Order: sequence, then structure tokens, then C-alpha cells
Amino acid sequence: MKFSEEKLNKAKEIMTRYPEGKHKSALIPILHIAQEENDGWLDVPVMDYVAELLNIKPIEVYEVATFYTMFNMKPVGKYVFEVCRTGPCMLNGSDDIIEYIKQKLNIKEGETTPDGMFTLKPAECLGACGYAPMMQLGKHFREHLTKEKVDAIIEECRNGAKVY
Amino acid sequence: MKLLLEHAHVEGIRYYDTYRKHGGYRSVEKAFKMTPEEIVEEVKKSGLRGRGGAGFPTGMKWSFLAKPEGVPRHLVCNADESEPGTFKDRYLMEFIPHLLVEGLIVSSFALGSNATYIYIRGEYAWIVDILEQAIAEARNNGWLGKNILGTGFDCEIYVQRGGGAYICGEETALIESLEGKRGNPRIKPPFPAIQGVWMRPTVVNNVETLAAVVPIINMGGDEYAKIGVGRSTGTKLLSVCGNVKKPGIYEIDMTQSVEEFIFSDEYCGGIANGKKLKACIPGGSSVPILPANLLLKTAKGETRTMSYESLSDGGFATGSMMGSGGFIVFDEDQCVVRHTMTLARFYNHESCGQCSPCREGTGWMYKILKNIEYGKGKMSDIDLLWDIQRKIEGNTICPLGDAAAWPVAAAIRHFRDEFEWHVLNPEESQKRNYGLAHYADPIHIPATA
Repeated sequence: MKFSEEKLNKAKEIMTRYPEGKHKSALIPILHIAQEENDGWLDVPVMDYVAELLNIKPIEVYEVATFYTMFNMKPVGKYVFEVCRTGPCMLNGSDDIIEYIKQKLNIKEGETTPDGMFTLKPAECLGACGYAPMMQLGKHFREHLTKEKVDAIIEECRNGAKVY
Repeated sequence: MKLLLEHAHVEGIRYYDTYRKHGGYRSVEKAFKMTPEEIVEEVKKSGLRGRGGAGFPTGMKWSFLAKPEGVPRHLVCNADESEPGTFKDRYLMEFIPHLLVEGLIVSSFALGSNATYIYIRGEYAWIVDILEQAIAEARNNGWLGKNILGTGFDCEIYVQRGGGAYICGEETALIESLEGKRGNPRIKPPFPAIQGVWMRPTVVNNVETLAAVVPIINMGGDEYAKIGVGRSTGTKLLSVCGNVKKPGIYEIDMTQSVEEFIFSDEYCGGIANGKKLKACIPGGSSVPILPANLLLKTAKGETRTMSYESLSDGGFATGSMMGSGGFIVFDEDQCVVRHTMTLARFYNHESCGQCSPCREGTGWMYKILKNIEYGKGKMSDIDLLWDIQRKIEGNTICPLGDAAAWPVAAAIRHFRDEFEWHVLNPEESQKRNYGLAHYADPIHIPATA
């Protein structure tokens, strides 16, 4: 796996934001790029490539990638529904939304549909408490969720929505 | 009284020209005519307290910053807003990004930071673009870069995206993460003011805190300190969620009563769907939950107001905290046990794993609460929960342990009968919620109801 020239330039630009010799600071932003480039997850060759890019040991990448929730260590569907279920969302019915998605897509929490389209990843507080229930889909939040809105989002994805 | 959100609803305020037209960047012009020491002095006089949750006086934090010869210093903006119930910084950054950029330039000048970083939670991915656009506009208009406005001061602001970890809101974990490591909090001392990011002297401040520097410089610290009440000076952003008619962001001068804040149309508009108020967590999920009776009035029977002091009146026995301003309201049909379980799961998920009391204790609390919630609990579990939270509190490197312990402690302290009801009625508790019981709001519901 290699970054496209555009992404490689972006990664190199990020590395210049830190003092001389402190470019390891760019690791997390670069892992975000790597994950987007690698179908939404990080496997070992990808992390090794990032290590090479930053001139750090692979273990320094693995330990960081596994620490942060946003990095997926296993393959995920094309569209990942990260539905918040923490207190404030729970007060506004997030349990019902998660249940509805499970039934509608016939998957359990953490699973991906057999066609590789959807993954349901229950999430902890994403900072949209006043607009609950909500989910993160790619780069953006989908808020004030209802069953109808979930239907519409699934439809949108089936029609090839761009979420990054 | 609006200082931060004064122009929030002006169309196009997200962009430089409109922001500038409405008085934007005046504080930078004023600050550049002052010395850095004078700016720190104004912030001290303002009485501004850190808006991230701890409420530590900002001016004092700034004055601790070490200034060894030849060592660069850094200002880091904590935009890792992750405390459940809190979404105020997101609002500021999303809709008035220039206010933060302006506050950062003034603060960077005061602290001598030539490279300033905004560490933003990874999930706020689209806000990174908004901030970077605002920073680029500021640079194009001469407010950032080399020798800004001919002062000889250089400053760049960079946005750093995190990877989704609540713990990175803790300042030393944030610093570790900014260095490209796991977000494991550091043992203090040394404090960041002496050895922070890359072992250089560092100040870490919350988004709202740094935005508040703008009105402080514009009006002067003394004038700012006249707003508010007592040691709760200035204005505070509250992010309201849960079961109110109008959830969202409110800026208050902290003089309102809690009753007015929840029930008046100017603010939350009352409880949604005609229901009654049961409880509230006034300052983000970590602070103690209060039943309606202790929320609206203190244990002494006085009216509770929306200030740092009044919200904490009675200590943890009968009070709570202003915290981050994440105001979570429960209606009569909500289950405190289930809510506490979701919080225990949250803290268990977010514990970094360094300290055993937190790593193991949060997991035990979640498992026990799950048993009680799903009708498999024992009476002794309630005491066991109490015991575990006590053994976490104060026994960890960082405050995540306390933050995990407090909500469990407060839920048991004030809602023990609801926990007992779950244990004694394992089947019924799966079908219905406990209801309002004796927690009823003393102002809107007669005691005999």
C-alpha cells in the first residue's frame, strides 16, 4: 500500500507543522489518511508503511492505532454507522434507533452486512447530545434520528452516497 | 448578556469579512499595544475560570508558565470536547471559528507562543476544515504569520485531529497525544507549565476559555469581572440536552435561578412533552446527578442559581458542580439506573488502563450496573458499587477515576430506592420505569401530589 501523490504531499505537509525532529506528532493525523485510503481500516502493512513514512518503529504505530477508538483494526463495511448510545442519547431514544438498525440490516452490534455495505458500530458520546439521537457517518454527523431518517440514510448509501 | 454569542446568528459570521465587520480582531489590535504581562494581568483581573470543567483561574494558570531563556513555549487549545452532555465548544468552532482564532492570537502573544495548536477530537472531522479555513483567512489578512502587523511577533496556528479518546481531554494525555503517542496521562509534577509538549513550557486551555479572552481584552478585566456573581465572573456557555423543549447552547451570566433556566421560554422552555422534571446532571456526566428537589433548591431551602458556587452548594452530599456546562435533564419517565449504566460503560471504554483502580474498577461498576439494570442484581451489589467507587476516587494518576466514581456515587446517594426497586422487582423493572417517586420538583408540584 502506498499513498497517492496528493495524500503523500498532505502527509508531508502535516509533518512540517511540528518542531524539528518532532514529526512523530503527525502520526494520528496520518493514520486518519491511511484509514481513508485503505477502505476504512488499518492492517499491518498499512501501519508499517506509516511507520516508514515517519521513520519510527512499527510498534510505535501499532500501540497508537490500537489505543484510539476511531481506528478500525478489522475490515468494516463501506458505510459505518457509529450510533451514540451514551446517557444523553439514551434519554432521547438511541436504544430504539440501534434496535431498528439491527433489525433493518439484520446484523448485530459490531457486525457488517454480508454484502459489505454496512457496519453497525455503537459509539460512546460523540458531542451531539442536544441533537440526539445521532450517528456519525463518515466525516459528518446525522442528528435528530428517527426510524424514517435511518431508512433515508440507508437508501442514500445504497445509492452510493459520498460520506468523506 | 451575550459576549461570546453576540453575533452568533449573523449570517456569514463564520467568514472573515462579516466577522471583521462586526468588530472582529479588535482585541488583537488592542493587545498588540499592551505588553504580554499587561494582558496576563487583565485576564487575572477578569476572574475568568477555566471553562473546560475544573474551573481553575486562567490568569493564575498563565502566570505559572515558565520562561527559561531560549526554550520555545506553546499554547495548546483543548478542543477535545468529549464529556457526555457537552457540545458548546463544537458550537463555537462550527459557527464562530474566528472568535477562537482571535482569542488564540491574543493569548499566544501574551504567553509568547509562536506555534499554537488546536487539539480537536477526531470525530469533529468537518470542523477541522472550518477552523483551517478561518486560520487561512486570518493569515491572508495579516493576523498570523511572521512579524504580525509589524510587531515583530510571529505566530502560526495548527489544527491537530485526535483519534477518538475521551482521556485526551485531560491536559497531560492531550500533550502525549499531540506528541503522537497513546493518551496516557502523565504524573504531575512536573506540570505542563514547566514541562509540557516536547518537554517545553505549555499552557493548555479550553476553547471557550480562550474565546472569552476576546471580550476580556475588549472591555478590560475589571469590566468583565462585574458581569456574573461573586467568583463566577463573566458569561458561561451551557449545552443543554436530555428532555427539555429547547435543547441547545445558551450563554448566561450565571445569575439565573436553575428553575428559570429550565422552565423559562428564554432558555430551555420547560420539560418536553408535558412531562415532569425528575433529575439533572448540571455540568457534564462526571458531576453528581441531583434529584429535582435538590436541584431547584439547596438543602438549606435557598433558591439554587446557575453559578459555580451555588451549583456546588452543599458539596457532594447535596450539591453538584458547574463542570463543563453540559446540562443533562431527565423527565419523569427516565431510569437513573440505566443512565448510570451507560455512563459506567462510557468510563470503562474510555479508561486508558494505566491505573488499576480505574481500569478494573470501571469494568466492575459497568458489569454490576448491567446486572441490576437487567434484573439480575442483588441487594449487596448496591453496597459493592458504593465500595468500588470509593476505592477508585483519589487513587488514580488523572481525574478520569474520579469522573467515573462520582456519577455512580451520586446516583446511589440520591436514588438508592430506585436501585433497590430494580433488585426487588427484577421482572417489573424490565417492563416499566420507576417513575418520579419522591424526587418531585418542589416548585411546580405540590408536596402532596
